[in-house]
Amino acid sequence: MHEVQPEPVPVAEKAKRGRAIVITSGKGGVGKTTTTANLGHALAARGCSVALIDADVGLRNLDIVLGLESRVKHNLLDVLDGTVELDDAIVRDKHNSSLVLLAAAQTREKDEVDTEKMKALVERMRESYDYVIIDCPAGIEGGFKNAVAGADEAIVVCTPEVSAVRDVDRVVGLLGNKFRPQLIVNRLRPALVKKGKMLSVEDVNAILRLPLLGVIADEPEIIVTTNRGEPIALRKDGATAAAYHAIAAKIAGEDVAAPTVEIKETGFFGRLGALFGGAK
Amino acid sequence: MSGRRIVVTSGKGGVGKTTTTANLGATLAKRGHRVILIDADIGLRNLDLVLGLEKRIVFDVVEVAEGRCQLRQALIKDKRFGEQLSILPAAQTRDKDAITEAQFANIVEQAAAIADYVFIDCPAGIEAGFRNAIAGADEAIVVTTPEVSAIRDADRVIGKVAEKNIPIRLIVNRLRPEMVRSGDMLSVEDVCEILSAELIGVVPDDEEVIDTTNRGEPIALDEANKLRVVYEKIARRLEGELVPFTNFDNQGFFGRLLGVLKAG
Repeated sequence: MHEVQPEPVPVAEKAKRGRAIVITSGKGGVGKTTTTANLGHALAARGCSVALIDADVGLRNLDIVLGLESRVKHNLLDVLDGTVELDDAIVRDKHNSSLVLLAAAQTREKDEVDTEKMKALVERMRESYDYVIIDCPAGIEGGFKNAVAGADEAIVVCTPEVSAVRDVDRVVGLLGNKFRPQLIVNRLRPALVKKGKMLSVEDVNAILRLPLLGVIADEPEIIVTTNRGEPIALRKDGATAAAYHAIAAKIAGEDVAAPTVEIKETGFFGRLGALFGGAK
Repeated sequence: MSGRRIVVTSGKGGVGKTTTTANLGATLAKRGHRVILIDADIGLRNLDLVLGLEKRIVFDVVEVAEGRCQLRQALIKDKRFGEQLSILPAAQTRDKDAITEAQFANIVEQAAAIADYVFIDCPAGIEAGFRNAIAGADEAIVVTTPEVSAIRDADRVIGKVAEKNIPIRLIVNRLRPEMVRSGDMLSVEDVCEILSAELIGVVPDDEEVIDTTNRGEPIALDEANKLRVVYEKIARRLEGELVPFTNFDNQGFFGRLLGVLKAG
């Protein structure tokens, strides 16, 4: 028996349905939270409304990286429990009012999150924001499952290290086909790559084989900006800020090249080698 | 004989738990102790890679828990250390709840019966994998980096481990002295003041570590490596020797960080 289908809603009257993107990696400390904060700022700078959700219940850090830690009053679990309204729980960013944060609970456990409620919350937030970006905890336990539950796209962050590549490969396998994961290679040190002491982007992606969103260089300024709570994407100049903005443009669907980090030529002989290599 | 059972944990991922476990274990093995390293990161194992033993895995910790094999069969001996160092790899294609806290504690106990030191490499986070990893431990080493997010997570983990009433010692990893001097990184003193745990080691940031872990070569075997001495000092402190600390930094002070962390 066929069910009666509702009349299709005309496109103009359709509620907004923003994109829900989870930032994940498997391995911890590769830069998920830093990436979330910077892409949030870069997308907001394009005029989009962006909500960031910290899904790392018990070990929250996105508030610190955004410099909003003293403004957090309520959190994700308060909203999921229904004790606080979403609008009261979100914290508006100091630099850009179209960016908001829903902080994780710090003194609760990840298994207190109800996966179905999490899904419903992300779905509801998509009606109010162009982008809902979920900062996933490390690992592949319950916290990971809840973080990906409401998303339908994934960005995986990987550093050029064998252990990180292995973990990302596992996470891509767990995500399955639904999320169309795209890759950000983070913390590349061109000098080490040149010396053959670090995997190159090509090495990483020879294993992962994912569409590349961009490459971010390792630089001490990231630690400084994290400690200060002012993501580097807020800066007017610099290669790393530009790279985050280019990645945001790519996410938004602009036809731009994925930002890369230049591995400088090794001088005259290096160039000669490349010339002859190219002629082969 | 019953060896010491030490869990290496941090809360935050990527601060160097696995690197610390491998290098401290290797250093103690080289100093003549029998050492067993257990990878508790089921589903995301890496300790085997860091020691270059990934191709020799036959059985894993879940199979030992399920009684499919004996602990001795699952242990992989790192032949570079004679009989002194072996690892028990994690399962890669299972979930962390494939093993219970009691089963894990039992495996740690079996390992302690045949070793002087058993190190448990804890997964990131504070979920089931963490609870398993600390279940059988009677000491803890908390690894942190001098970053505000890592310290906040370490503080949370210390709170959880303290419930077990076991000694907690601290390793500050990846210190960049020049950044401490410029006021862009917390000093070791700042970190210790916030976390109030006994300091047992300070490891400077060294890009060589990326290379040695990629190649699966422990620092203890690399005579030229600057960090070899650092891990040796940590090993001696664990053995109970009083080894003075090198002063890596001056009085670093970064107001906001301390404010954030002291507020909880």
